[in-house]
Amino acid sequence: MAATMTQENGLRKAFPLLLPAYAWLTLAIFLPLSAMVYFSLLTSMSPSEQSSSLTLENYAAFFSDPLYVTLLLRSLRLGLVVTLICILVGFPAAYVLAKIFKGRAREAIFLLVILPFWSNSLVRVFSWSMVLREGGILDTALNSILPFEVTFDLMYSYPAVVIGLVHSYLPYMVLTCYLSLQAIDDALIEAARSLGASRLTTLRRVVAPLALPGVLAGSALIFIPVVGSFMEPRILGGRGGTLYGTVIEDQFTAVYNWPLGAALSFILLAVVLVILLVSAPVLRKTA
Amino acid sequence: MARVEVRNVSLTFGAHKAVDDVSISFEDGGFYALLGPSGSGKTTLLRMIAGFEFPDEGSIHIGGEAVESVPVNKRRIGMVFQNYALFPNMSVAGNVAFGLQVRGEKGETVRRDVADALELVQLGHLADRRPHQLSGGQRQRVALARAIVTKPRVLLLDEPLSALDKALRTDMQVELKRIQREVGVTTIFVTHDQDEALSISDRIGILNNGRIVQEGAPEEIYDRPKSEFAATFLGDANIFAGTFDGTRLRLQNGEAIDLPSDARPANGDLRLAIRPERVRLVPSAALAESGSSQSSSHLAGTITRRMFSGSQSTYLVESGGQEYKAIVMRGNAGELEVGTPVAMQWDRSDLIVL
Amino acid sequence: MIRTPAFLSGLGRFYIGLVLLFLYLPLAIMAAMSFNVSPFYQLPFEGTTEWYLALSGNDSLIEASLNSLKIAVLTTIIATILGTAASLALFRYDFAGKRVIQSLLFPPIAIPWLISGTAMLIFFFGTGIGRGLHAILLGHVALALPYVIIVVSARLATFSRDLEDAAASLGASSWQTTWKVTLPCIAPGIVAGALFAFAVSFDQFVISYFLATPGQTTLPVEIYAAIRKGFTPEINAVSTIIILFSMGLMLVVSRFFRFGGSQ
Repeated sequence: MAATMTQENGLRKAFPLLLPAYAWLTLAIFLPLSAMVYFSLLTSMSPSEQSSSLTLENYAAFFSDPLYVTLLLRSLRLGLVVTLICILVGFPAAYVLAKIFKGRAREAIFLLVILPFWSNSLVRVFSWSMVLREGGILDTALNSILPFEVTFDLMYSYPAVVIGLVHSYLPYMVLTCYLSLQAIDDALIEAARSLGASRLTTLRRVVAPLALPGVLAGSALIFIPVVGSFMEPRILGGRGGTLYGTVIEDQFTAVYNWPLGAALSFILLAVVLVILLVSAPVLRKTA
Repeated sequence: MARVEVRNVSLTFGAHKAVDDVSISFEDGGFYALLGPSGSGKTTLLRMIAGFEFPDEGSIHIGGEAVESVPVNKRRIGMVFQNYALFPNMSVAGNVAFGLQVRGEKGETVRRDVADALELVQLGHLADRRPHQLSGGQRQRVALARAIVTKPRVLLLDEPLSALDKALRTDMQVELKRIQREVGVTTIFVTHDQDEALSISDRIGILNNGRIVQEGAPEEIYDRPKSEFAATFLGDANIFAGTFDGTRLRLQNGEAIDLPSDARPANGDLRLAIRPERVRLVPSAALAESGSSQSSSHLAGTITRRMFSGSQSTYLVESGGQEYKAIVMRGNAGELEVGTPVAMQWDRSDLIVL
Repeated sequence: MIRTPAFLSGLGRFYIGLVLLFLYLPLAIMAAMSFNVSPFYQLPFEGTTEWYLALSGNDSLIEASLNSLKIAVLTTIIATILGTAASLALFRYDFAGKRVIQSLLFPPIAIPWLISGTAMLIFFFGTGIGRGLHAILLGHVALALPYVIIVVSARLATFSRDLEDAAASLGASSWQTTWKVTLPCIAPGIVAGALFAFAVSFDQFVISYFLATPGQTTLPVEIYAAIRKGFTPEINAVSTIIILFSMGLMLVVSRFFRFGGSQ
């Protein structure tokens, strides 16, 4: 009884402090998301037009035109590829950082790894265009080393988009893996070794399972934004860079079919939510 | 300075009755210890007197004023916390001055009161230090100075010495007692350490399961505990459980024990207790030689273990399937070996009827 | 301590070196090119500062930069105040539905910005709030709030509730306790949260992109437009400035807030 009393009392006291922040989130996030759902059910372009009525045809459009499904699958595959590469590159880096480096060196290098994450992603993606294009740095460097002539032009290609996205999101994976790896007591590793396990067995049977939550958290944090990316493919992918995200962007900035754009956005949101729900139990363990 | 009166106070957290119909009064200027195991409700009781928790039922009076619905910052109390809770963003002097400043006092008054309080705890020279630059004992003194500088009506201490090591803790007990005498404030001290409670306080309240089990002067509780819990929690005790047949206590294994001559219990189940230091051990062989002394009660047994601790030895003696403890000061006699058959003897008047 | 054989730890160091090279090489090249004479990034390298000088005459970039700064500062102030207040409430009080309230902080971070951005565009347009700098500010504060609350709450988690109890036992009102004890103690967390908020806003592109109007735009949106029109060395110059600025800012943050808790 006392507990419920303090709880009611708590809400009364907490309310004025919470109200401004959550009112703001409501106005700028939750109401817009609701509006988007509503909008996706409209026939006409803007809610000001009287003729607009409720319909499911925008969703029907998604399922009837194989282009959208193809593009969504393409975006999902891109998310998968980028996430996998980030795991393959990021986990070993986090391991080295957490278990080989010590003290100040570790702190400094850790900071160096996650620092780019806080600089402008647009600019970082853009910087790759100078490296990847024909006559760019990579091309020039390769041709000056190799005895034969090669034409090296990754710019405006699928690999370029992958490289740019990996560069953008790798720090996420290093960060989450590092956090779970450094929480593993060194004594556990020593115990495994003292029981006769090889380095590899220790890594596979002890370290990897304990670090799994970090890997999954990083994967969710990378996969979700990559599936919705549009700026990176626009800059690095050129004509081959058409993805689900760029199609949504087109509906709002070029084609001006907002209801269709809203429906496509909502479908993406649903896919993302399903993925989050599936991974939620594991993510909760990490937190 | 004031008398604190707790009447029929209860507080329930969810399904757990933390404090259950407790009544106890703390006389003006007295030094009280609330002693109990963790979860006994002692800290909750203290926090209700402080004003951090509010009783579901009952009343609390400080200096005759009913305070059970007065918020903590209006109660004019002083409190010392287990981990001292010194404000890390303020100097020592800043910490001590805080209570005066929030009351609106300014300038010279504050400066003088802070200096006096720090002088009292012998830390005048560390006024400008930050809490993290102090040792545990020094932090303790700052916390104390901060709590008493506002001249509280009652001083509440929540396990204040538990974070200190043993030697320092003994020093601080003496110091705390001196300061309390000097200031004369009613003091309530929560602890789970029986030695601390015995050595420091004028009176002790023992709590268990949210209730006051016994309340009284330290010697009184130690010599005449009313329950097995009080007997075993405050000090160590051997318990004899059996049936009283009108003349003697008959144990399960058939042995019989005389009661103190002034005891008049009802027939039936009965428990007696005796402190281990009141038990004498005599080798059975020696007893046979001397022809025994029937003046004191005794039980026959065998020594199963000896634990040496410097000035004394503690023996475990097995008798009739039960294990008993005897503490023997060294020097009087030679040590007894494990396996020696012995008689445990005591004076009838040392037995405690529970 | 685990002893790692020298060759393995050497390999590890080499690998970290490669990862850092991957992360920093493009940025270094971009910075170098911003000082190269050739507008088409032709080698050999010839040093010049003309692209930086050209920036000073580019009115639209300068105006967009000022807008970005203005919005970032306002976002920082608003998000820090609202976020700190909410963190205090979540730290101090217990109430039914608290977990739900806390989990509502994650949508702004977890939902792709593309979706948040288009949703805001629809809602602001439909309700008459419209687009422009005020709309961008609305969006940025919402994105920055969760970061502030998470960082300040992390700091509060190390703050002992006993300190607030001690202040109250000394006669302080809850207002006095907040201002004289709680806020000073968590100040490093608040500063870190504020700098996070600034970084989130200053670097934000997607939300701004959907909410900007031709006259009211931010620097990343302006840069994107310039990139889409075609490369110019001026973009290298301004990008280099931005990168150095953001990284410098985060170095300052790292002094207040330990990301990894590396001990």
